[in-house]
Amino acid sequence: MSDEELAKDLGLISAMTIGIGTMIGAGIFVLPGVAVNADGGAGPIVVVSFVVGGVIAMVNALSVSELGTAMPKAGGGYYYINKSLGPMFGSIAGMGDWMGLAFASAFYCIGFGQYLAVFVGLPAVPGLNPIQVGALVAGAIFIGVNYVGAKETGGIQTVIVTLLLSILAVFAVAGFFSFDYATLAGNEGGLAPGGYGAILPGTALVFVSFLGYAKIATVAEELKDPGRNLPIAIIGSVGIVTVIYAILVTTMLGVVPWPELSQDAPVAQAARVAFPESIGPVTGIAGGAAAVMTVGALLATASSANASILASARINFAMGRDKIVTNWLNEIHPNYATPYRSILVTGGLIVVFIALLGQDIEILSKAASVLHLIVYALMNVGLIVFREADVPEYDPDFTVPLYPLTPILGAVLSLGLVAFMDGIEIALSGAFVVVAVAWYFIYARNKTDQQGVLSEHIRSREADLPDRVVGAADAVAPNGTGNEGPTIMVAVSNPRTESALITLAGAIAQHEGGRVLATHIVTVPDQTSLETASENRAGLDESSEELLAAAAADAEAFDVPIETKTILSHRGIEEVFDAARTNDADTVVMGYGGTRFAGGRVEGSLDEITHDLPCDFLVLDGQRLDLSDVLVPTAGGPSSDLSAEVAGALRDTLDVDVSLLYVAEPGEEEAGHEFLSGWADGHGLDDANLRIETGDVERTIGRLGEEYDLVIVGATERGLLSRIVRGSLAFDTIETLDTPVLLSERPSARSLWERLFGGR
Amino acid sequence: MTESGPRSEDLLAHVLLPVAHEEDALATAEALEPYHPDRVTALHVVEKGGGVPDKTPVEQSEELAAESYAAVRTVFPDADEHTAYARDVAGAIFDAADEVDASAIAYRSRGGNRLMQFLSGDLSLKLVTNADRPVIALPRVDEGE
Repeated sequence: MSDEELAKDLGLISAMTIGIGTMIGAGIFVLPGVAVNADGGAGPIVVVSFVVGGVIAMVNALSVSELGTAMPKAGGGYYYINKSLGPMFGSIAGMGDWMGLAFASAFYCIGFGQYLAVFVGLPAVPGLNPIQVGALVAGAIFIGVNYVGAKETGGIQTVIVTLLLSILAVFAVAGFFSFDYATLAGNEGGLAPGGYGAILPGTALVFVSFLGYAKIATVAEELKDPGRNLPIAIIGSVGIVTVIYAILVTTMLGVVPWPELSQDAPVAQAARVAFPESIGPVTGIAGGAAAVMTVGALLATASSANASILASARINFAMGRDKIVTNWLNEIHPNYATPYRSILVTGGLIVVFIALLGQDIEILSKAASVLHLIVYALMNVGLIVFREADVPEYDPDFTVPLYPLTPILGAVLSLGLVAFMDGIEIALSGAFVVVAVAWYFIYARNKTDQQGVLSEHIRSREADLPDRVVGAADAVAPNGTGNEGPTIMVAVSNPRTESALITLAGAIAQHEGGRVLATHIVTVPDQTSLETASENRAGLDESSEELLAAAAADAEAFDVPIETKTILSHRGIEEVFDAARTNDADTVVMGYGGTRFAGGRVEGSLDEITHDLPCDFLVLDGQRLDLSDVLVPTAGGPSSDLSAEVAGALRDTLDVDVSLLYVAEPGEEEAGHEFLSGWADGHGLDDANLRIETGDVERTIGRLGEEYDLVIVGATERGLLSRIVRGSLAFDTIETLDTPVLLSERPSARSLWERLFGGR
Repeated sequence: MTESGPRSEDLLAHVLLPVAHEEDALATAEALEPYHPDRVTALHVVEKGGGVPDKTPVEQSEELAAESYAAVRTVFPDADEHTAYARDVAGAIFDAADEVDASAIAYRSRGGNRLMQFLSGDLSLKLVTNADRPVIALPRVDEGE
């Protein structure tokens, strides 16, 4: 088994219990009494509110399933939104998810406190009612448990959920026998005393009962067979929970008349009525049943709170990785191996929410729902962006039915439900979005280097879209480029070309504020094990060290940090790609000779590798560079953008004169000139000499190239490099040119996407 | 010495070095260095939840492993690495020792009082009681705890 498979140990049942275990705590045990009595009495119609909530959750569950199977990554909703809509919306989503979980945890703690108060007399503290005291104690315990990471024995979550479902099943059966339709419908006002208009505000209140399913997605990377298990677990748990809610709330309201239903511990109250006082000689059945229900409620709210605290640490991790928040949060405790800082900060928020807002459980539950709903709405938009931008890596195993209807519906329903919250929650959430956006501009924008697919998409179609759209995308784009700017990797192999390659890399690195990584890839014959090779390293080290030392010396001419590395490998060119990936290189500079040491490899696999460039590639055909002027032939396209960047870097650092060449059809010189001067302006090369020629492209380049010290040719089509490597490219004119030629190839969308995803 | 059987050099022929994180890895490797082991394999066990979500995301655990190996390599440049995924850390260490055919397991207690050791699973006790090969407890030096 590969490492990746070993890391996956959650099966379908475990995944399902995460979802059900988180959701079931709130809906059944805490909310029914509050919901039926809300706004002067919504009455039994709240059963419909629960079902509507289930439907909204289900539409979103479909979208989460698609996104989750496409990107089984820690972080869930935040991760998808950050990747699709970029870090500004990522900030909103990350903060929203995080705060939403903190609010939800505070809500679960209050629920725990309400049932705890049934068992033990809790003291009131000035400013806090007894339930809040219980909630704070519970919150402290949950935070402590997560802080030390005390292991729940393997199946305990499954046991708890099974136990809960059994308790609820027994309750439903007992309730069925004492169910009285008159109790349900015979109160003043019938089934809907508050009118049918009370349904949606009711849904807004109870939606917190459905917040568990997305947590399955936050641990997607630990699931076995996520393509199958993730959608089943997410959709299944929403379906099961909705049915349970509908049955049990109906039962409860058929047992206890709704105006009398307890707002604090409704299930315990209903159990006391539903179960007979005695069966035969055994008495105290009703009281015992109420006690069992109370224990169930404590387990349920505890498991909800626990799962939420853990999920929030996952979101912090994902945000820290993208530098939306400081990675300080994600330090791991040396002894407990838990992300203790994240847990403490989240725990602090929970405590504050309990203490300040815990008097009114409605505010906590709605605040949690509003924040999650905003995240869900953005997630649906993100799904549409992924589909429309047509990114090849976006390849979900599960796709939503009825696209684009489902995600549109999901976004509309989620935002629509927000409208049924009270003014205070809407105002809070509006303020929250403002704060999150401010956070992005003040803090995160300068740190993060993540760019969303949306802005890539907009920027890549600059020509077709109105300026204002592009301008807006630019205005919110991140400024950060990681900590140390781009990494320019040089694959040196030959002392004769080393200096020229380092010169190019140094100029680019200095221009971009990046660093140079000089690598010497030593190909070891397949017959020699790498270990043996490294043991016999003495001789090899010498030549390698000499080469890399020369590289470091050459790089000193530039004001850039340089690192050197010797890599032993059985592979040649493939190792260059690997090294570029593992070192997060942004540009690879290598010699033409280097591309040829692939000889004898299976062409198919090589083809695939070289078609999938991990970053920009610059391949130099030539041994020495003595630069005073360069020629850049262009016809537009991503690779010639790269050529322009290189030319610009050489101009700024080495004071090189840049000439641009456009080969036009005879008679179209005028249009050609217009294109070229526009292109020059667009690439910051407006001071370059413009040359318009007609005739055969290759021959023209060959003829004019003689006049220059370097010709920079952008790959006009994808896979140029792969064809050079295989030697199948008839590039005679240029190959026979005495002037050094630099071939530039910028990866197409596929690899660009890979860079977004961390280069893997 | 003419009798056959294990000699002291054999003990350090191939040492398995379980490390938890960067700092621990560095301290452990430095503690082992004076004894000049012939060969070292650094081991990081990613603690799995086994039915419940892990304490940390997989990606973070693997970062931690990579940092730990890098720290070991600052002391033993040729050290091999081995990553295990298990709920039972001590068991995973023994399995790894089997797998890489280690001559001994060298570890450094992470310290802490009884309560902390209990909460973090008291690895020392499990290691020394259940081992099927020599276990070397490295001295805890240079820490003013």
